[in-house]
Amino acid sequence: MRYGMVIDLKRCIGCYGCQLSCKAENGTPPGVFFARVLKQEEGTYPTVNMLFLPVLCNHCEDPACVDACPTGASFIWEDGIVDIDPDKCVGCRSCMMACPYGNRYINDKPQHYYAQGQTAFERLRTGRHQTEVVMKCNFCRDRVKAGEDPACVANCPTSARIFGDLEDSSSIVSRLIKERAGFTLHPEMATRPCVYYLPT
Amino acid sequence: MSDSRAKYQQMLIDLRSDLRPQRDWGEGRGVLLVVGHFFVGVAAGGWLMSLIFASHNGLLLSYLLAALGGVVHLGFLGHPGRYWRMMRRVKTSWVSRGFAGITLFLVGGFLYLVPLLAPTGLWRIDSVPAMLGYGMAAVGMVVMIGYMGFVYTASRAIPFWNSPLHPALYVGYALRGGVAALLVTRALEGNLDQVNQLLALWIGVTVAVTLFFLLEIYGAQTSGNAAARRSVHELLAGRVSAYFYGGILLLGIALPAFLVWNGMTGPLSLGAMALLGVASAAGDFFMKYSTIRAGVHLPLLTRVGAR
Repeated sequence: MRYGMVIDLKRCIGCYGCQLSCKAENGTPPGVFFARVLKQEEGTYPTVNMLFLPVLCNHCEDPACVDACPTGASFIWEDGIVDIDPDKCVGCRSCMMACPYGNRYINDKPQHYYAQGQTAFERLRTGRHQTEVVMKCNFCRDRVKAGEDPACVANCPTSARIFGDLEDSSSIVSRLIKERAGFTLHPEMATRPCVYYLPT
Repeated sequence: MSDSRAKYQQMLIDLRSDLRPQRDWGEGRGVLLVVGHFFVGVAAGGWLMSLIFASHNGLLLSYLLAALGGVVHLGFLGHPGRYWRMMRRVKTSWVSRGFAGITLFLVGGFLYLVPLLAPTGLWRIDSVPAMLGYGMAAVGMVVMIGYMGFVYTASRAIPFWNSPLHPALYVGYALRGGVAALLVTRALEGNLDQVNQLLALWIGVTVAVTLFFLLEIYGAQTSGNAAARRSVHELLAGRVSAYFYGGILLLGIALPAFLVWNGMTGPLSLGAMALLGVASAAGDFFMKYSTIRAGVHLPLLTRVGAR
């Protein structure tokens, strides 16, 4: 079992639904984005194209972040999900420097979105996160354990995100990667990411 | 809250830019990491030079700097109380190896220094604890001299640091810092013995460090990717260029070089010797600080665009 995700760039419309649903599910504080969407204009007038690239932790098979972590706070679950144990993290940020994808964030102080202070939602969802530790996407592991898809997958309105087992050759993710020449970001880093993209 | 808001806004701007500057090491409390690395580097180099030039005060100064560097490192951590966990990944993590090296050095250095500075104390300099301490401190010193460059080289997110020259550069900084520490120690002692040898050593190490630094910049500019080239731009003409020209070139190289030239061609005053050491060490600090601040994250979109 090795969980992975396929993101179909042809289907992504850059609606930020993944980013919002991730924030709602995980209650991440300001400045922490487990999922975000990058935008880039391609081509020259009149043949221009807007590319949307949703990014998240790549849950690499050989994660540079896990090697760099001095305490063992960053680790890999048996199902391939790369996670952080906040009780072990010292906040040295070496994993943030090691991750070639820049998808780790420090939650350096208690924060809230509105000037009036924490909302009831923030007290419930954001307040549970430790400060002064590094945070990242864990494919909504609690949801996955309960048999559900990660929040970003479940809430994508165009079904651009597909979640599944990369080791199962008959799974939808494996088939899509094979049939549509799925690629990963920065393969030259040899981290073997488990998030694949399908070309536009 | 306004600080947090400004930081958040800055982060949003950074995340939207193609070439995102790294701000976690070197800005805000991140300065403590650079200061910690600086002290630890000078301490390790100082210990080596003090052993070579038989300076007891140099050994003591190096030990105190290492202890200070360790404390400053802890000040950088988000949870310093969990520091003891940092030795758990010596197999893979250079931070962990460095922490182990500093610990080894501090324990070993204590065992060696006590009989050296207080000969009538609990154990003698030729006793087993002192010899064990000498060995532990030597191993710790080697680790301290070497590990910092590898910490940066292992940072794959920052192409400018991800260079095979970086470890050699940090070894050079440590040796240069060691010579500087010994020059200051000798000046404070009022001791001008072997000063010409120290000055010659300073020239040799400075030439090597400068060469490595230039090669690294040249390599990043000519064969590096967009992020590495942006780092070079930040260093030479961007947001950290003032530290480069003022801190590295003027304070760290030109001023000490002038003092060394004076010392080689005529008598060197104790004040000039101390100034030489302090300026050289300050230059090393700015060299580390500016290269760390110049770090730019590997872009994600360019690969997609170029596929």
